[in-house]
Amino acid sequence: MARRSTESLASRLSPFQKFYLIIVAGFVLGPFIPLIIQSLAFRWAWPDMLPGTWWLEQRGKSMMPLAWDYVLSPYSRIWEATLNTVGIGLAVTVICLAISLPAARVLARERFRGKSAFEFFLSMPLIVPEAAIGIALLMMFIRLDLAGSYFGIIIAHLIPTIPYMVRMLTAVYQGLGRDFEEQAIILGASRWQVLRLVTLPMLLPGVVAGALFTFLVSTNIFLLTFFLGQGKIITLPTLLFSKIAGGTLDASAAGITLIVTLPGIILLIISERFIKEEAFGKGFGN
Amino acid sequence: MRRERLFLALQMTPIMVVLFLLFGGALVLAIVQSLGYAPWFGVNTFPDLSYFRALWSSPSFWQSLGLTMYYATVSTFLALVGGILLALALIKTFPGKTLYKYLYKLPLMIPYTVGIALAVLMLGNGGVLSRFAALFGLIDDPGQFPQILKTHYGWGIIAVYVWKQLPFITLAIYAVLLGIGRETEEAAAILGAKRRTIFFRVTLPQILPGIVSSTLICFAFNVGAFEAPFILGGGFPDTLPVVAWRYFNDADYTLQLQGMATVVSIGLIAGVILFGYLAAYRRFEKRMGRN
Repeated sequence: MARRSTESLASRLSPFQKFYLIIVAGFVLGPFIPLIIQSLAFRWAWPDMLPGTWWLEQRGKSMMPLAWDYVLSPYSRIWEATLNTVGIGLAVTVICLAISLPAARVLARERFRGKSAFEFFLSMPLIVPEAAIGIALLMMFIRLDLAGSYFGIIIAHLIPTIPYMVRMLTAVYQGLGRDFEEQAIILGASRWQVLRLVTLPMLLPGVVAGALFTFLVSTNIFLLTFFLGQGKIITLPTLLFSKIAGGTLDASAAGITLIVTLPGIILLIISERFIKEEAFGKGFGN
Repeated sequence: MRRERLFLALQMTPIMVVLFLLFGGALVLAIVQSLGYAPWFGVNTFPDLSYFRALWSSPSFWQSLGLTMYYATVSTFLALVGGILLALALIKTFPGKTLYKYLYKLPLMIPYTVGIALAVLMLGNGGVLSRFAALFGLIDDPGQFPQILKTHYGWGIIAVYVWKQLPFITLAIYAVLLGIGRETEEAAAILGAKRRTIFFRVTLPQILPGIVSSTLICFAFNVGAFEAPFILGGGFPDTLPVVAWRYFNDADYTLQLQGMATVVSIGLIAGVILFGYLAAYRRFEKRMGRN
């Protein structure tokens, strides 16, 4: 915001841009309003803009759990799916960080033969279609008896997350410079001390950003979990898929959609605090 | 010196093992299987091009390929145009900007399946848009509302992809715009360039790296996406990932090899297109005098 002093007239929005911002906000967020209404509806006949009968009116009369009663009950398996999603996401983040940190350090600082080829290979998972990886992995996992296991899903999630993590961490290492570590070594610090007391604290903002992004990508993955989970392991995206696969959305499916959105809202609030916009640019640029 | 090199290799080992075994292994396995190597089914005719020949000689494969490319290209293009416009608006100052920058990113944080659920709710024949149409007296029966979902025009699928990827592309371009600042644009304006000229000759070349990397990722994803075409697509002919999945789940397990040939075809075609795109971009960068 240091540029505020040099701002000219051109930094105001044009009328078209104002209109466009409203349109985009409506396109992105608008559909959530009927979604909330649908989750509370019991009967919503066609031309009506609001439901004729609400869930709360029918709640006591029905033998079956309706709408939110169903969503929050064990029958919907939403808790199981939430726990799986978060657990898998955490495990993926930790493993991804552990294997990407040393590699990013080398990529940022060393020159070696075949480096550019290796960098190209590292970004391959981003441009090979997920369906191709998913089905091929399933074939492999069935042979290895890993299909439908947590371990199988966690290591499969590493494939699409590693490229982002390595790119973000490499950018951080490049910005870090070597001087502080060299001074610590001159002053007699051991390799472990340098890592613990100098490198890691300076890396921390980048590490947090990379970890958040990895967690985000992992919790959003549908295809790999669906193909490799074999229906035995459900996460929030695959649970929602099974509810809407028929192409209709009833009140309980709308409720589940809202629950599946919740972690994203929490992540959004956290990530705005920890991820600088520029960091995303570094993660994507080549 | 040798110990240094050993330490270097050691640091790279874990990531190499994961990527080579899992990703590379899966790719190699897919390729050899599509060429007829599957001893666990009692099939071993490697190398055997008959699966590819059977696949590529059926017209439905080319229809599926056409559909897959159509959905991927149109939605990436729409998301790109929308994303550039949004990023250009976001670098300006306006009241509520902080909040807006939170809100527009929401689709980035949530799974595609949420977008699909929203599309079902909004675009279906009994959906919210058709209710609005009835409210304004345009139609008086849900059947009169134009079919948006489950057709081969795929507007439902495209809407979901654009909804999810517009923030992604915006963010990538916005980050680049922040990095380059506004000095060059201001200089061009002072030198008398018109708004159009400034955008196409000054801004666009500078944000090109962000455009290329983000559209590459989106396009590749759209080609390989499964859930949106599966739920919102128009049935036969399906997109290639759905075709591959159907082959794979067929009771006749020999069709799995056909599925593998489909999977390898997706990878090959996407690879050729993306490689060509990157090569064209590199040539452009060279011509611009950047490396």
